[in-house]
Amino acid sequence: MWRVGLLSGLLLAAAPAHAFIAYVSNEKSNTVSVIDTDSWTVTKTIKVGQRPRGIEFTRDGKFVMVAVGDDDTIQVIDAKTQAVVDSLPSGPDPELFAQDAAGKILYVANENDNTVTVIDLEKRTRLGDIQVGVEPEGMTISPDGKILINTSETTNMAHFIDTSSRQIVANVLVDARPRYAEFKHDASEVWISSEIGGTVSVIDPGKHEVIGKVNFEIPGLRKEAIQPVGIAMTKDDKTAFVALGPANRVAVVDVGARKVTKYLLVGQRVWHMAFTPDEKYLLTTNGVSNDVSVIDVAAQKVIKTIQVGELPWGITIAP
Amino acid sequence: MIVRVWAVAVLTLAAASTAVHAADPRYPNWPCAQAKVPEISLAAVWAGPELGDAETKWKDDAKVAALVSKLSARKTPMDEAEKSVKEFLSGSGSDKTANAKLLFAGLFDTLNAQRSQVMNGLERVSRKQRDAADKIREETIQLQALQGASSRDDAKVDALSNELIWKTRIFEDRNKVVRFVCEVPTAIDQRLFALGRLIQQEME
Repeated sequence: MWRVGLLSGLLLAAAPAHAFIAYVSNEKSNTVSVIDTDSWTVTKTIKVGQRPRGIEFTRDGKFVMVAVGDDDTIQVIDAKTQAVVDSLPSGPDPELFAQDAAGKILYVANENDNTVTVIDLEKRTRLGDIQVGVEPEGMTISPDGKILINTSETTNMAHFIDTSSRQIVANVLVDARPRYAEFKHDASEVWISSEIGGTVSVIDPGKHEVIGKVNFEIPGLRKEAIQPVGIAMTKDDKTAFVALGPANRVAVVDVGARKVTKYLLVGQRVWHMAFTPDEKYLLTTNGVSNDVSVIDVAAQKVIKTIQVGELPWGITIAP
Repeated sequence: MIVRVWAVAVLTLAAASTAVHAADPRYPNWPCAQAKVPEISLAAVWAGPELGDAETKWKDDAKVAALVSKLSARKTPMDEAEKSVKEFLSGSGSDKTANAKLLFAGLFDTLNAQRSQVMNGLERVSRKQRDAADKIREETIQLQALQGASSRDDAKVDALSNELIWKTRIFEDRNKVVRFVCEVPTAIDQRLFALGRLIQQEME
């Protein structure tokens, strides 16, 4: 009896302290699925504009911004009412965006007109445009907010943009079709995935040079199926997860060694990912199997699959 | 005037059709946005036990072969396909694992072959579209020359502009078809993965 009491006490202690809320953009069904990380179920499906892709919470956690490319805008969802309440003035066909650390300025990659739009998030107005390479996509900001990195799918470059002058200060050539950029939390490296090249380039942001590469090889899998897209790094900068598209796997990478330690089988055509704020779980969007995989970060295991809308693309979790 | 508008539209169209997405240097004729994966690898869709000789033997089992052809047909709705898989495996008794392997091996072969056929077709059409775009571009230049000639031959101008309009229409229609057909390989991937997942679940 005493033992049972102790056991249930332990179980209780192991249960998550509080649930988080994840928002997933479904590119084909023009919806956003809301997932509760306690029950791991979809609690609401929000109708949004056409072709929702890039999605992110505002820093204060009050709103969710979602780029609806075919409507040429970014919609704003109120996290409390879970309804679209406003829109932001992006350029044509916005795909991905990044906000500064304070959550005041938003930089939007507009896939169709080769520009990055700068938006004041408080006033929700457009501050200006930056001319970049063809088909801009990946976007990230350095932890100090001084450098914005934008990748261009067609010119195979990472553009380094000074956020104060809004000028390109360097272009770094990476492998074919760069899709996503991620800074290490200590700002010492930027990692850029190349979908067709099948690699992740590690760049020294001070020298603007490629200083290393992460390569992927999965026994029994054609090289063409390995298409790196999303990158997620733990706060201690020790472990990175790289989504490998139609390889249907997420690679676990030792950041220091730049070597893959494990491949986790998730759903089909995995692209983007988000950690829960406590970093216990990593959620991935699987565009072809129309689901989200939940990875237990410490155990490096897939523990759950959640069906969402059609063609899940991006994911964000409330801070 | 109308002809000129057309010509401009055609040129823009022809240019756009080749630059919608960054081309993969390995497959210059691949017209779809998703980078080409020439065939599905077993490791991408199957985490179950090794298929072993099931990879060749599934064809010899009449029941499995019939079920494979039913499940591989796109006209068979997924819920019906899933029901058939469950019925087949639950009625397999002690042969369940062996039958599951045979069934998946058959689906893998058949759907992969189906997918290759569609992809080859897409690349063939894409090559033809490129030639058509070149031809339209050439004839547009010819037409402009005819229109600007000092002794303008109206009959010839009309004939060529009509032909151009016709060719452009075909070009546009084919482009639409290509975009539509680009979704087929993905739909096949989806079917194979979903059925594979179900078969693995049923084996547990």
